[in-house]
Amino acid sequence: MSAPADRTKTVNGVVLVADPAREPCFTVVQTDAELQDWPDMSEISRRERLHRHMNNETGAIEIAARCLVDFPDASWDLRMSLARQVADESRHASLLLRRLKELDGEKGQFPVANFEWGVTLMLDNLPGRLAVQNRTFEAGLIDILGTMRNRWREVGDHETADLLEGILADEVTHVRFANRWIKRITEEDPRNLLKVAMAVRYLGQVLARLEPKVGETNAAGSTWTEERRLPPAVNIEDRRAAEFTEEEVAEVLRQAGFRSILPSLAAGN
Amino acid sequence: MGETIRQKADRVGTFRYISVFLMETLARWIPTTPELEAKVFFGRQVWDFAQHADWLGRRTGELRSPMQWSLQPADGYLRVLQTMAGATGTMERLAGLHDGLMPDLEARYRDYIARTDRLNDEPTVRILERILFDFERLRADRAAFPAIRPDLTLADAGWPARIAAMARAETDYVSSRAAARAAATAS
Repeated sequence: MSAPADRTKTVNGVVLVADPAREPCFTVVQTDAELQDWPDMSEISRRERLHRHMNNETGAIEIAARCLVDFPDASWDLRMSLARQVADESRHASLLLRRLKELDGEKGQFPVANFEWGVTLMLDNLPGRLAVQNRTFEAGLIDILGTMRNRWREVGDHETADLLEGILADEVTHVRFANRWIKRITEEDPRNLLKVAMAVRYLGQVLARLEPKVGETNAAGSTWTEERRLPPAVNIEDRRAAEFTEEEVAEVLRQAGFRSILPSLAAGN
Repeated sequence: MGETIRQKADRVGTFRYISVFLMETLARWIPTTPELEAKVFFGRQVWDFAQHADWLGRRTGELRSPMQWSLQPADGYLRVLQTMAGATGTMERLAGLHDGLMPDLEARYRDYIARTDRLNDEPTVRILERILFDFERLRADRAAFPAIRPDLTLADAGWPARIAAMARAETDYVSSRAAARAAATAS
């Protein structure tokens, strides 16, 4: 892995690309332990969830934008999809900032981390970046949003739930275009499959080094338990809509301990 | 205008080059611009310029040039683009593009429409009119920005006017294909 054009940083022995520009109001941290988050849906937890999501969407804008800059020879269709993704993620960040303010929150109220940027920008090829950012991080967001949309509804905040529902629909399209493109280029040239596999392996190695361990406590005093470390329930319906194969959905289900969001729960929203 | 198909394709291909250049410039600015409101402002417009490039690129394919074909502008106009893109301050970026370059680009689109045979070249005219329709929205977004971030101001107050003057001075923006090929080979 290499990132010749970027400055790097070292986090717990792992080399990552240095953070993108953030305003002075933000406290940028490097590990989950330095983040503040709460497992419940208290008022401060709700604001922190929106704030963290807003920064993650900002990172997604920046990653897709850099893909446009770094790979000018990519097919025009793919560049159009990336440009659309940049605009979508920008809209998402704006929506989340607006909702954060409506709930009496503000930019910089909580620490933020740019893990996805740091990892993805270490990859010097487009198949690898799309495998990590779109097919892994954004696909994970499909699962998280499926769960969180339901949790916000359960606490009676339908406005935020509706907002997340809209974002979820967009994220499905981002994962789908990456799935289609990766399928096409690996069929055209099987060597691209190696780039995808190496990128996923690299991500696994980084996560193994940096993921919080059971018993560790974050900056809000919340302790990581075995349950909190589990991946979110799998959003089967939307992963299918994003054109993951049945085998891929089954593998993600296995990793999540076969926990899934039942389609009937999502259908009423 | 009395231009050949090839000359029209060259103009449309040049407009496409400019649209792709602006899309990439905004994309390059995003990670290095600190303010969230400016990042999302640039981010939403990346898609606008990508769409403009796409429409123009479909038209080049109809004008006996390849689909999604771009022609690098004449050297002088290219220098204007590169100067504008080299801004590092947030408001220099935003105002350099919107107050400096885009009015000149809009004038070039309007000039093309005014000089071409609207019936014979109707598909190009419709594309440019759609782009100009988008430009109105982009202009409104730019006008609204100071209310969103009143704390952001130009460190170099004369920057947008200098970009505008540079652009106005370059009357010939279309290069010959041979010159563009030579430049591409040399770079």
